[in-house]
Amino acid sequence: MATHALSPAIPAYRGGIYEWLTTTDHKKIGIMYVINSFLFFLIGGVFALLVRTELAAPGIQIFQNEHVYNESFSIHATVMIFLFIIPMLAGLGNFAVPLMIGAPDMAFPRVNALSFWMLPLGGMLLLLGFLTPGGAAAAGWTSYPPLTERGPLSSPGPGQDLWIVALILIGTSSILGGINFLVTIFKMRAPGMTLFRMPIMVWTILVTSVLVVMATPVITSALVMLFIDRNYGGSFFLPDKGGQAILYQNIFWFYSHPAVYVMVLPAMGVISEVLPVFSRKPLFGYKAFIFATAGIGALGFSVWAHHMFTTGAVFLPFFSLMTFLIAVPTGVKMFNWVFTLFRGQLTLSTPLIFSVGFLTMFLIGGINGAFSASVPIDFALQDTYWVVAHLHYVLFGGSVFGMFAGIYYWFPKMTGRMLDEGLGKIHFVLMFIGFNLTFFPMHMLGIKGMPRRIADYASDAGWNDWNLAATIGGFLIAASILPFIWNVFISLRNGKIAGDDPWEGNTLEWATSSPPPPYNFDRLPEIRSERPLFDARHGLAAHGGHGGPGDEEAPKLLEEGDHDDQGPGDAA
Amino acid sequence: MTAEAPAIASGSGGVAHADPHAAASGHAQRGISNPILGMILFITSEVMFFSGLFAAYFATRAANQPWPPDVFADILDPLGPIIIATIILITSSFTCQFAVWSIRRGDRRGFNRNIAVTFVLGIVFLIMQAFDYTLLFGEGMTLGSGPFGTTYFTLTGFHGAHVFGGVLMLGVLLYRGMAGQFSARHHDAIEAVSLYWHFVDVVWILLFSILYLL
Amino acid sequence: MSTSPRKGPASEAIVAGGVVILLIAIVGLVFLSGAGSALYPPKPATAQASEVSALYDIVFALAVVIFIAVEGLIVWSILRYRRRPGDVDLPPQTHGNNLVEALWTLIPTVIVLYLFAISWSTLGHVDAITQTPPGPDVRIHVLAGQFQWQFEYLDKDGKHLATQTKPNGDGGGMAVPVGKKVYVTLDSGDVIHAWYVPRFLFKRDVVPGQTNHFEFTVNQDEAGQTFHGQCAELCGAGHRVMLFSVVAMTPADYDAWLAKLVETANATPAPAPSGASVLALAAKNIAYDKHALEATANAPFVIDFKNEDPATVTHDVDIKSPDGSSVVADQAPVPGGSTGTYSYKPLAAGTYQYFCSVHPGVPGMTGTLTVK
Repeated sequence: MATHALSPAIPAYRGGIYEWLTTTDHKKIGIMYVINSFLFFLIGGVFALLVRTELAAPGIQIFQNEHVYNESFSIHATVMIFLFIIPMLAGLGNFAVPLMIGAPDMAFPRVNALSFWMLPLGGMLLLLGFLTPGGAAAAGWTSYPPLTERGPLSSPGPGQDLWIVALILIGTSSILGGINFLVTIFKMRAPGMTLFRMPIMVWTILVTSVLVVMATPVITSALVMLFIDRNYGGSFFLPDKGGQAILYQNIFWFYSHPAVYVMVLPAMGVISEVLPVFSRKPLFGYKAFIFATAGIGALGFSVWAHHMFTTGAVFLPFFSLMTFLIAVPTGVKMFNWVFTLFRGQLTLSTPLIFSVGFLTMFLIGGINGAFSASVPIDFALQDTYWVVAHLHYVLFGGSVFGMFAGIYYWFPKMTGRMLDEGLGKIHFVLMFIGFNLTFFPMHMLGIKGMPRRIADYASDAGWNDWNLAATIGGFLIAASILPFIWNVFISLRNGKIAGDDPWEGNTLEWATSSPPPPYNFDRLPEIRSERPLFDARHGLAAHGGHGGPGDEEAPKLLEEGDHDDQGPGDAA
Repeated sequence: MTAEAPAIASGSGGVAHADPHAAASGHAQRGISNPILGMILFITSEVMFFSGLFAAYFATRAANQPWPPDVFADILDPLGPIIIATIILITSSFTCQFAVWSIRRGDRRGFNRNIAVTFVLGIVFLIMQAFDYTLLFGEGMTLGSGPFGTTYFTLTGFHGAHVFGGVLMLGVLLYRGMAGQFSARHHDAIEAVSLYWHFVDVVWILLFSILYLL
Repeated sequence: MSTSPRKGPASEAIVAGGVVILLIAIVGLVFLSGAGSALYPPKPATAQASEVSALYDIVFALAVVIFIAVEGLIVWSILRYRRRPGDVDLPPQTHGNNLVEALWTLIPTVIVLYLFAISWSTLGHVDAITQTPPGPDVRIHVLAGQFQWQFEYLDKDGKHLATQTKPNGDGGGMAVPVGKKVYVTLDSGDVIHAWYVPRFLFKRDVVPGQTNHFEFTVNQDEAGQTFHGQCAELCGAGHRVMLFSVVAMTPADYDAWLAKLVETANATPAPAPSGASVLALAAKNIAYDKHALEATANAPFVIDFKNEDPATVTHDVDIKSPDGSSVVADQAPVPGGSTGTYSYKPLAAGTYQYFCSVHPGVPGMTGTLTVK
């Protein structure tokens, strides 16, 4: 067994295609999540480019049939949210969490495989809509009824039904994944790994999983009701038959707002691992960070109606107040990250650069969100391109930069080889410029009155220049993906051998070989803090900080460690 | 620094030894077992699913007065066949718990007997619900007959689907029990399924209360 | 294993500080030069919009300050605290600082509570409905349907006066008097729409089965202006064409305009020009009953158009030139359940396309007009 750990360059994933298709190894499943999500990222990206090309200039460019335009942005958003961001982060978690807590696998490996395989199936059902008469779903990723009910001008075809079934499948996959994560985190931690010694990544996955388990079934109920309305003569959301259109929005956003945190918390977890490693300092305010994460999770359930300020059907002051308040724990995290960098010794490797991209862009996504939290300003901004800018600064500037940080960070652990730093930096620079060129002008478009989800606009509306800039930026983002793909391709073959711990990591995954053996660990180091490998490298004495809770906590942690959590083999 | 990492992995002083499964077994002995925790979390998500449906029910009901609408004013009679179905389902929850207690004592025959009764009661409930549906259809109440029909059949239908799933699980337990696969120490599956069955029962009591009594 | 604070060379600090100051200078320049105005709302046109605009200014100022402070700190940290080849010792292992953490929890809390307070107080004005008699000066019932707006003018008691079925363009639009309180109720006949006028800094969803309402007062100096408006909630393939305009008039002009609208509505339809041929056409379920019509070249003609759809669904019969590039006849839509008598000017011989401007691209709503 030990030979495995000592021969880090051995590609442990040699098995044939059959081995991959039938695996229950969380690492392989995690990698398949990542690859599958990346493919859907490319598909979603193509739809984004179609939309941006149409909007590059006034006049109809490519979509003679505007219904197809509506299909494009609907499928773009659905794919990006449900088949890219959520599963990509779940995939990184799938790979990292058992390693980080010193577990041999997830709690339910076969359920884990099932969760994964539901995703490509759901994705195919979704895209199958394009082959049906009437095309794919075309009512936006929110799919508000009555537009999604059957009607000559609404959603007559089976595309909308496929959308519903696909989302129920993907949602079920999420729920099973969330349960798996929770049981794994609660029950499978290595001796010594107390809750407050878990890496922040594990904490964010924990809170994310709670959100998934609590919120996803609620959207499933909304989708089921919509399906009954469409196919079995139900009347949940049909006003002329005694239903209520707004009811769907309430149920939908009760899930979909927490879903925003599902999409961003794990990315926060990733950068909370990367920043300390590359600045050679602990995360500033570890516990505060955990409480802030839990606070976001809890508050996340009380802000859903801020998506509905203009419906005239929600209690505005309450949801406005809660929305403003949720900015506080998010702000706390931002300061924690910045102060982790502050006075550190920074190595500007690609994972760190992408993490800094997260910090700088997510900050903008937080600030422009405050405008929408203010109800009167939201009356002006809701459903304009401002909102499109806001959500992309959160989900792209936040989540996507975070997940690329994670991919660059864990690629050596996944494959045993390093990604090329130079190509990584080209990737970042192109993506950073392209991203801002695409989405910053959308603020201007939104505040000047351009509604979202329109296929064309008047040439005298004053929106031409910003739209052209956004389209150019969109293609720049697409271009930035090419060096990344090339990087993965050449690094897999010729990349530098990573070794067990190329980054001087803090957490347990760096204590095993790269890639790790199927059972993950031969030996585990002692776990006396949230940075077990740092302790092994520098000794616990290095923990002494000056001032702050660190001083009081370090000895206390030690004591706990001495009394509890002695595993069977720990007696020596 | 790379030189240090293999040193950790190869186990010098102060390093915990762990065989591949030690990490799991280190904590697995304490608290509830993985399958039971998994089932509790699954039930949590099911509770949220039904919460969504219940929320829709109450919102729809509040917006449609009178409730039930005049055409169906007396169609849902709490003292009709449905009360028998309700008693049957509640009884099955008890027999299910008796089965759990039996196996905890190591009484396999008692377990098989009780789980068989539970299984049969579950099927009888489903048959009675189907019978009840045909009566309602006969009086013209369907999914398509306005908010009242839509909510009634959606709620009871999804509950019925959960009962059906539970009956399948009970069938598997019965089969495995007759094959002698359970013992006083090894019966996590039984504990998990019984939790699920109680959950299904509680949902029905709620449904019966709000649909027939409230 | 030293944890002493590093005494870094001043050069890094100078570079880092320089870059931060440069960034601040650029942001400052952008705003001083007026280029930052792209991030400001358009000139507010109503009393309510003016308040929203003032609120926006406060939030925006705070946003810029926070943006510069935090981004500056990030950039500073990245440039200043680099690991140099000789750095073997660890930097200070700071785990946290209770005072600092309490401060950065407290200060943002105070800021967001302040923002909430001023937002709420502004909301009280923006969302207010005049309750005291005699109530608002003008009452308009907005009806939205895929993909058209209708503006029904009501009297003080809410009784029907007349309906403006042409939502924009020549003689179209929702006319309102400046300086008067305009009370709007919104209803939809099919899906959710949103009534949005960018220069009012306001939108409100038009939800089927739920009557929403709001009130606004156009500023006095806006008389004579036409404001662009548009549906802001995705409502189907024709979402983009669901445009309207709000026309601000002096009260006197408005009264005259409304009187004319009422008069036109009550007038018996003008008889078809003598000698003109009359074609019959009807629409039902978002489709014309005939997809080919014939007319005589160089002679006026009339289409007797019957809209058999529900009241919120409007249709018209416009005509495109043979090459499809321009619209040669633009008619006002008629709501469902009513008829329109459309007169057309003489057309040269050729093959034209007639279509419903409310439902562009809907296959059933086009036809071929052959002029011989």
